[in-house]
Amino acid sequence: MSFLVPCPNCGRRSVYEFRFGGEVRQVPALDATQTQWQNYRFNRVNAAGVQTEWWFHRSGCRQWLQAVRNTVTNEVLEAYLPGEQP
Amino acid sequence: MKFYFQNKAIEAKDGDSIAAALYRSGRRIFSRSFKYHRPRGLLCVSGKCPNCLMNVDGIPNVRACITPVRDGMKVQSQNAFPSLETDWLSITQNFDWLMPVGWYYKTFTHRAMWHAAEPAIRKVAGLGKVLSKETRQYEHAWMHADTAVIGGGWAGIQAALSAAERGEQVVLVEDQPALGGQGRYRKRVRELPADQILRLSALPNVRILLDSYCFGLYEGSLLGMLQRNPHPGAAERLVHLRTKHTTVATGAYETPILFPNNDLPGVMLSTGVLRLLHLHGVPAGRRAVIIGGAASCEEVSAELREAGIDVVAMLPPEQVVAAVGSTCVQGIQSHAGKFVCDLIVVCGPLVPDAGLASQAGGKLTWSAEHGAFLPAPLPDHVSVVGDATGEGLTGMVPLLPSSKRAFVCFCSDVSSQDLCDGIAEGFDHIETLKRYTTATMGPCQGRMCQLSAIGICARETGRSIAETGVTTSRPPNPGVTLGALAGTSHHPIRRTPMHYAHEKLGAVWLDMSDWKRPRYYNTSSPTATEKECVLAEYRAVREGVGLIDVSTLGKLSLRGADCGKLLDKVYTHRFSDLRPGRVRYALMCDEGGIILDDGTIARLSDDRYFVTTTTGNLDFVHQWLDWYLAGSGWDVHIANMTAGYAAMNIAGPESRSVLSKLTACELNSGAFPYMSCREAEVAGIPVVMLRIGFVGETGWEIHCPAESAEALWEALLAAGQESNIRPFGVEAQRLLRLEKRHVIVGVDTDALTNPYEADMSWAVKLEKPDFVGKAYLSRVSTDLSRERLIGFALHGPGVPQDGAAVVVNGKLAGRVTSSRHSPARQTAVGLAWVQASQAEDGAMIDVRVDGKLVPAKITMQPFYDPEGGRLRQ
Repeated sequence: MSFLVPCPNCGRRSVYEFRFGGEVRQVPALDATQTQWQNYRFNRVNAAGVQTEWWFHRSGCRQWLQAVRNTVTNEVLEAYLPGEQP
Repeated sequence: MKFYFQNKAIEAKDGDSIAAALYRSGRRIFSRSFKYHRPRGLLCVSGKCPNCLMNVDGIPNVRACITPVRDGMKVQSQNAFPSLETDWLSITQNFDWLMPVGWYYKTFTHRAMWHAAEPAIRKVAGLGKVLSKETRQYEHAWMHADTAVIGGGWAGIQAALSAAERGEQVVLVEDQPALGGQGRYRKRVRELPADQILRLSALPNVRILLDSYCFGLYEGSLLGMLQRNPHPGAAERLVHLRTKHTTVATGAYETPILFPNNDLPGVMLSTGVLRLLHLHGVPAGRRAVIIGGAASCEEVSAELREAGIDVVAMLPPEQVVAAVGSTCVQGIQSHAGKFVCDLIVVCGPLVPDAGLASQAGGKLTWSAEHGAFLPAPLPDHVSVVGDATGEGLTGMVPLLPSSKRAFVCFCSDVSSQDLCDGIAEGFDHIETLKRYTTATMGPCQGRMCQLSAIGICARETGRSIAETGVTTSRPPNPGVTLGALAGTSHHPIRRTPMHYAHEKLGAVWLDMSDWKRPRYYNTSSPTATEKECVLAEYRAVREGVGLIDVSTLGKLSLRGADCGKLLDKVYTHRFSDLRPGRVRYALMCDEGGIILDDGTIARLSDDRYFVTTTTGNLDFVHQWLDWYLAGSGWDVHIANMTAGYAAMNIAGPESRSVLSKLTACELNSGAFPYMSCREAEVAGIPVVMLRIGFVGETGWEIHCPAESAEALWEALLAAGQESNIRPFGVEAQRLLRLEKRHVIVGVDTDALTNPYEADMSWAVKLEKPDFVGKAYLSRVSTDLSRERLIGFALHGPGVPQDGAAVVVNGKLAGRVTSSRHSPARQTAVGLAWVQASQAEDGAMIDVRVDGKLVPAKITMQPFYDPEGGRLRQ
């Protein structure tokens, strides 16, 4: 694994500067069913293809980013601060 | 220059490789083979074959042919006893019929047999012995370039020059000690591009790495490279090179031809002979027979004759019957008769070295025109130039006779007959054949044997070479030492600002993540035991006053109008209603209600909070807070003050009188009650004081700027002198907190613990509209928990170890998480997990202590000062 993540603050940087934070998902509502909560806690989509993920730029700007990554090719198509996607 | 081979001094010239100096001194046998202990001599002289692996200054498996001699170097042979000339184990080749291909699988049909035989096999087979202790230094470096050119032969030099002249930043990597490639030793074929090398060396935007090789091309256009001896302080340097473009100019290398005894010392590749001759001035023999195509034979014979070597015959490969000799070449048997010679020069098939390009995604496909596997199609960021493209190759079809003594794989003694046998047994796919026979899996990584193995597989299965295909080349190729991958052995150490004050006080250290913390202080006498010291520190806190450095606590400063909102969300307690000047215990859970961390949160003013975390969890908590903040639009700014602030805790019944000497701040419980905080000055130093009591006595946790910490520490110790103040360490702190039944997250809790099971329901405010973990915690709060964390006091001697078993009615019912001998209770007390149904105040359990079961009583109250009166005093 040695792909680059285009950090919106710092530019293209080695993935080793980042901490992976999991897939971007909707947190269930408080009154969601137990199954929905279990699904959120323990199951992952783990798409073979493009998915949006949380990445924390630990050795850079120390910001949480959302990155759109193709998990097959490890190409990061874009990355942005949450709520600021183009 | 002089070095030692098997403890005998050998003369060497400047620029000699170990192998060249040994060859000049008359040595012909350089190693013994992996399985049959057959003598092996120099073959490729370029670091590609396994024949000259030796132990150099204790380092095993060093390629002697490319390792320059250093004065005083100690070189030893490997895998030979008593010597390379007479290796007793060479007798194994007479029993090769006992070791057919797939021998391991056929012989060791039961696991026990393998366990019995393995130690003996390990002793007689294989390569060098692994170092028990690594003393060499390794390092990593990071580089960036527009273009990386791998290979410094004529094609690489051209590519580097044209990229450099376009103004690009260029890194040129060459695995030999000089640029020039074949121009350095095959002057009849290629001239040394001396002018261009000079021009290249003078260009400021070109960086040339000699004696370095590229072992992998990874995603993100990252090249893994290894630089040998980058400077006297380091043996190897691993370079991470990011490029925009990679030009593979790795050339082509020569491979052996198959005929019986093709591994005898004295049978050498033509490029090996020429390297030895022109790079080191060492003629490889006196009487030579050359095998190969007419053109190559002519070139080599002209070179040899010029050097005074007698060329007695030039034979096309199909004329060869076998090489003759016992430990070295004495002649060659051919269809044209027998020739006496001491050197057989093999002009073998050339193989384009395109592995690197195939790692970038270019699939290797067979080109009949070139007689080679070539990478295509290439991704945009990779190109191949020069001989590595297969240009100029004629597609000579190698002859592949089947013989027990015609070696395909020199690394693990696999003959052409072995491959045929393996195919006959059904391993007829190139990938299964490779795994079954281990051909192409040795230290040469298939360089010497791959083409022959594929050729034999194709012939025996009746398929074409294109259909047979090639095994996958994966990085690292060539191999890399583990030391280089690991890099420097440097481990960071964090010291608190009072570190040297502790040292003077006789601190005995404890490693806590990267931090050094005093475990206890050996102040009284050098002979005092840890137990005595800890007890004295304990008594000081309980009866007088003690001072502990707690700078390693994570410290976060939060500012902004929405701090309360954020803290309410991520902690289980409520903080938006915390009044300025007050402190509250803080517990953090994940979405599943599992305890993540704890600490205290002080509200300094309306929009300023001060959060502490446990020592090891700071980064995690900081990122966790940031994550909930990300995209929320809330007005919160978090600053990590952990390194900027130091902290110390003064505790004990006399702490107030000591502290009051240094501050104007009112300290009585009316003005400064338990669980409150003040910003004040102590000894003229601006501080934040939290009145909290982890150890169970009146006390203040004082946070101050790191640069003033040592002064404050000394001032407090000086002010406390009359009260016999004592610094105390982590061990006394753990005992003191245990008597108060205070939990340490991560010690007494684990990855399955929720606050209800840990008996901390008071820290969870389910009536809050929303917080992380609420959905789960609302469920478990009404459920019966599976386990409970309980306190216990032992009714008997001894102290249970952490993790000791708890037994109820003769059945395993739980485990101890912490236990110490309590001076207050005069017995061992501790915390333990038991089944929820057994967690009854006053119930009896058994705890295993030193192998015996000792009764203990469950106590849900603190063992010391259960009402907490001393804290509030």
